[in-house]
Amino acid sequence: MLLDHRELGAWRWLLGGTALLLSLFLLLPLLLIVALSFDSSQWLQFPPPSWTLHWYAQVFADPDWLSSLRASLEVGVSVTVLSVGIGLCASFALVRGRFRGRAFLRAFFVTPMILPSVVLAVALYGVFLRLHLNGTLAGFVLAHLVLALPFSIIPITSALEQFDGAVEDAAVLCGATRWQARLRITVPAISLALVSAAIFSFLASWDEVVVAIFMASPGLQTLPVRIWGELRQNLSPDIAVVSTLLVLGSAVLMGLAAMVRRGASS
Amino acid sequence: MPAPGAIAVREAQGTGLAGARPARGARGRGEGFAPAVPALALLLCCFALPVLALLLRSLLDPRPGLENYAALLATGTYYRVLANTFLVAGTVTAVTVLLGLPLAWFLAVAPAFWARLVFGIVVLSMWTNLLARTYAWMVLLQSTGVINRALIALGLVSAPLPLIDNLTGVTIGMVYIMLPFMVLSLRMPLAALDRETFRAAALCGASRWQAFWRVFLPLLMPGLASGALMIFVMALGYYITPSLLGGTSNMMLAELIAQLVQSLLQWGVAGAAAFVLLAITLSLYAVQVRLFGVRGAAGG
Amino acid sequence: MSAPFLSIARIAKSYAGTKAVDEVSLDIAEGEFVTFLGPSGSGKSTTLYIIAGFVEPSAGEVLLGGRSLLAVPPHQRGIGMVFQRYTLFPHLSVAENIAFPLRVRRRPRAEIADKVDEMLRLVRLEGMRGRRPGQLSGGQQQRVALARALAYDPRILLMDEPLSALDKKLREEIQGEIRRVHVETGVTVLYVTHDQEEALRLSDRIALFNHGRIEQVGDGRDLYERPASAFVAGFIGNSNFLPVRVVAAAGRHAVVSCPDGFELRGVRVAARPAGAEPTLMLRPERLWLAPGGAGEGIAGTVVDAAFLGDCIAYRVRTGWAQDLAVRTPLAALGGAPAGVGQEVRVCCEGRHAFLFAAL
Repeated sequence: MLLDHRELGAWRWLLGGTALLLSLFLLLPLLLIVALSFDSSQWLQFPPPSWTLHWYAQVFADPDWLSSLRASLEVGVSVTVLSVGIGLCASFALVRGRFRGRAFLRAFFVTPMILPSVVLAVALYGVFLRLHLNGTLAGFVLAHLVLALPFSIIPITSALEQFDGAVEDAAVLCGATRWQARLRITVPAISLALVSAAIFSFLASWDEVVVAIFMASPGLQTLPVRIWGELRQNLSPDIAVVSTLLVLGSAVLMGLAAMVRRGASS
Repeated sequence: MPAPGAIAVREAQGTGLAGARPARGARGRGEGFAPAVPALALLLCCFALPVLALLLRSLLDPRPGLENYAALLATGTYYRVLANTFLVAGTVTAVTVLLGLPLAWFLAVAPAFWARLVFGIVVLSMWTNLLARTYAWMVLLQSTGVINRALIALGLVSAPLPLIDNLTGVTIGMVYIMLPFMVLSLRMPLAALDRETFRAAALCGASRWQAFWRVFLPLLMPGLASGALMIFVMALGYYITPSLLGGTSNMMLAELIAQLVQSLLQWGVAGAAAFVLLAITLSLYAVQVRLFGVRGAAGG
Repeated sequence: MSAPFLSIARIAKSYAGTKAVDEVSLDIAEGEFVTFLGPSGSGKSTTLYIIAGFVEPSAGEVLLGGRSLLAVPPHQRGIGMVFQRYTLFPHLSVAENIAFPLRVRRRPRAEIADKVDEMLRLVRLEGMRGRRPGQLSGGQQQRVALARALAYDPRILLMDEPLSALDKKLREEIQGEIRRVHVETGVTVLYVTHDQEEALRLSDRIALFNHGRIEQVGDGRDLYERPASAFVAGFIGNSNFLPVRVVAAAGRHAVVSCPDGFELRGVRVAARPAGAEPTLMLRPERLWLAPGGAGEGIAGTVVDAAFLGDCIAYRVRTGWAQDLAVRTPLAALGGAPAGVGQEVRVCCEGRHAFLFAAL
């Protein structure tokens, strides 16, 4: 009655109407960003007096935006590679290892995800200041790696748990060493989880603001740090352009992740 | 060679020997620990120890004692920050639950096409950069923004409503950001409901209204509570959205911590504030795990 | 006598104080098909995994050709194994799965190709070489697993309940395949199962496990006709277990007294007693019914008669508290079967009865 669309009767319209309004609530701000990026008025008038690509040209000609894009990509790619590598090793220990404190270790590895990121940001800021890691690529990567690791460990451990360890044992009896068996049999078999770990690790770094604000220096700013700085000063149309590109990027990665998930289920 | 150790092996009958491996000369630590070392080292050096150091500073900086905590709870400005934080987190949680339930319910019952479309919007919104979304609301909520101009044009108000640089703006922006999390965390509990239960309720003579209050909501309560707790915890520690939409006079806890460190260099008080935030977060998380298990707590 | 091919010597394994394997010893000849049979938790799989190298024994030794196997890591033991669950490598084709052990050993390409063809012929899956494991049925998957395990000419083939996930008809078909492959390759097979029929059908010898120990080793007939203990008698085939009084005993034979005073002579005494009370074991198919009245046999009344196709299964109420199960093959049935309520005498030859008693 309450779980079947046809049996909902008049409630169906009530529910559908609410869902429609909430969908618009979720969607319109995203569309607004896109519209503003083509808005010819510098003062963010809506509806726009006319459309223009001027702001796009301006962003792509701005060395500051381009350098922060490069910084974002450098940090993001480094974090992704390290996060998947370290996460894969750690997942083998968590799933296949037999040692005391395994459950505790597993919980510990995902705590960065539940901790308010401002606490991590301030804590790392304090330590990195003394180590002169602030404003360096290494500092950025280390900080984001902490946040990205859970996003790699969670899908990989769950894939490893679903992958029958006896298959790995079979490879060992076939003559492969334990790590050969893992590399040649287990890793290819869980490759979809590795792709998903990579996507989420990248996004964890790419979209991260709070820790990044504390790690940045005038010479090294990722895109979100740059946007943050701009937002605190003025609402320039540049931000609309960059935001649009970020929405677009998210949509593409989202589609990729959906494809991976579909591949995993088939 | 992986380090050896004792392996629990059960007999046949569908039980696995998965991962059982050669074991010679068992060691106390157990085996297979080595691959976890890089991750463990990273989290110790770049997570656990720095956080610990920050908390220690709250007790030692500028001199040993509890004065930082006293300052945090006794000073009017700090106290107002705490009050703001709980007020906003509570309001945001309540509104998000109220809005998230019908949306998740719609996703559970709607025809496939509509469900997929709306779900796509929810996920797209969640995956869009936080700053981009906050930027959109900064534009929307301005006194000369789209919302105020529309309200004036419709004759509903005569002067622009103050929607930004106050807690109203923070609440709207944060509800917008939390709503997808709530919807996603309600998906599993809703999928677990059995439609036959409601047919049975109808046959027992329950009206839709009664079935909603007496069957639907009680069955969904654990999912709602778990989602609400998760959102409350997340909202408590939010930094970006409150500081951009709330203005300088309506600070929340996370922003206070950042300010104390960045502008005021008061590491001691910052450590104390961080400890308060951490303690609340972890104890609510513990409640979550206790009540709903790890999976429920990690949901979203 | 030269040293046995494979020698398991007093191996033991305990987990948290419970003995999963308790001093198991067994010698196996080259080319033999030996089955570890037993209920779940009896230690048979653990013993197999000790031989494979995935479990380290707390004590004991495993010798292959007189050399210790325990010192060799599993990937160098050269042992083939087919697991209970399908353990094909999901991202590799059938042919690639079979080739895997040879690739790991860096054999020449041409040799690998030949061996893969030979193995595919052996398990009769020539047409499936390009398929992925996900495209095969369960029975086909286990045949590929068998081919993979044999591809590198292992000295021993271990099989851990390989057919337990298959349905009955398929199981019997693959049992036939396994027998044929064993004959064709001459490989030594250690096979674990909890299915007595499978064990009887396949094996040269059966080692019956119980509580981490081997109760008895022998071929199917030994275990069936000369059970060393009540557990063996109960596990292999069906049995009536009945409390009796021992009238006389001499050597390995005894005279026992049944409820209404009938004395069964020439009853064989088993090697190990079942418990304190003397217990008589009668196989239902070794019993036959004679018309009621005076004469040899235990007097009783038929309370149930079921036609099972190849035989008639009776339940007969006698002086014992429990009913006796009696099976009469159709060929042995003289006239009409006994009906419910009919007075009968249950007859038995002493040499087909077993006494478990501490004498």
